[in-house]
Amino acid sequence: MSSARCLSLALLAVALGSPVFAQVRQQVFPLPAGAYPHDVAPAPDGKVWYSAQRNGALGILDPATGQSREVKLGSRSAPHGVIQGPDGAAWLTDGGQNAIVRVDPKTDQVKVWKLPEETGYANLNTAVFDQDGLAWFTGQNGVYGRLDPRTGEMKVWKAPRGRGPYGITATREGDVYYASLAGNHIARIDKATGEARVIEPPTKGQGARRVWSDSKGRIWVSEWNAGQLGLYDPKSDTWREWRLPGEKPQAYAVYVDERDIIWVSDWGADAIVSFDPATERFTSYPMSRADAEVRQILGRPNEVWLPESGTDCLMVIRTAGQSQ
Amino acid sequence: MTRRAATFVAAWFLLVGPAARAQAGDTVRGERLFQYCFSCHSVERGETTLPGPNLRGIVGRRIAAQNGFAYSPSMRAFAEREALWSEALLDRYLAAPYVVVPRTSMSFPGIAEPEERSDLIAYLRSTGGRE
Repeated sequence: MSSARCLSLALLAVALGSPVFAQVRQQVFPLPAGAYPHDVAPAPDGKVWYSAQRNGALGILDPATGQSREVKLGSRSAPHGVIQGPDGAAWLTDGGQNAIVRVDPKTDQVKVWKLPEETGYANLNTAVFDQDGLAWFTGQNGVYGRLDPRTGEMKVWKAPRGRGPYGITATREGDVYYASLAGNHIARIDKATGEARVIEPPTKGQGARRVWSDSKGRIWVSEWNAGQLGLYDPKSDTWREWRLPGEKPQAYAVYVDERDIIWVSDWGADAIVSFDPATERFTSYPMSRADAEVRQILGRPNEVWLPESGTDCLMVIRTAGQSQ
Repeated sequence: MTRRAATFVAAWFLLVGPAARAQAGDTVRGERLFQYCFSCHSVERGETTLPGPNLRGIVGRRIAAQNGFAYSPSMRAFAEREALWSEALLDRYLAAPYVVVPRTSMSFPGIAEPEERSDLIAYLRSTGGRE
């Protein structure tokens, strides 16, 4: 891929429902055709990883050059999620291999931990590391689990209410929560016992898809069916919900940046929406093309990364100096 | 085999092969393979609240026909071109959904093995009554 194909866009954000305008810098990086980036994760060396689900590979983009390459993960691989582990490696939830996969960023060595045979096909979704260096993961067919990378010990539990476990997050305090899309709830995992406790959002059938924690340990939830952004405060055990702008919002992914600004991908509007909890205002940003289908969001300071699975591109929104 | 006969056999496999394999599928294995679909789809009557449409009676059903389901623009456009989910079409779709319906919102990458698709289609056919 030629770096010349990288497009630099300076766009005015479109404020919806309020006279808020923010000048931001959006940049789009085309990937090889068919890459189908499902999830994205900034790498420790300035590069950016993505899960190339249809190519069975870890994708590696160098934003400095716009060039990318792929590391194949194995036969039948179809990775859904990718995150950076505390060891600086890429960790993937690989639905095709029914396994957790690690890719060494220096050697490209691939290591695979298969789920226990008795688990069956889990439809692995997303993973997160807690403060103890344990990897927690979800399987959309109705399981969640834990891998200790030091020993290789893996444990899998059946989720309450069966199918649905999707996005997962860890708070700064080390608590782990996941969202159940089909189960319409979020759940907190008791790390001592492994038991998951269901926490019901106020809106029935909301379709809690992904979760992310802010600096206060609160849990933000993208509610797919309801087109809402949810907020659960564990300290007070209370909820708040905001409907996204537009006629038929569909909140897919959620991410909280280092300033505690919330980012949500809205498939209904084909846009990315940021939300400032202080003002309770939404600001909308366009994607590179129609039907971008951003399924997950992740970032690092001053950068919010968006995998456009529908266009085979990655987009970054650079937030330095931006006021919400 | 004459050249003409060879051409006929090749054409038979191309045209009839997928449907014939589906007819011969194993429903027991197909039910296990439905785990590929399970997280988003149901074959239980009336269960229509999952992320994907109900697949009960999908074989022979009109495409994008579940009332109230928010199909993607690409699937709705596909339904304009193709009328029904025939077994042959399902076989092609399950092999590579994104090839048959470009820009489908379903991220499932597909089932490479023809026998697995055949078994899954046999199971879907066995769910019988249409939803």
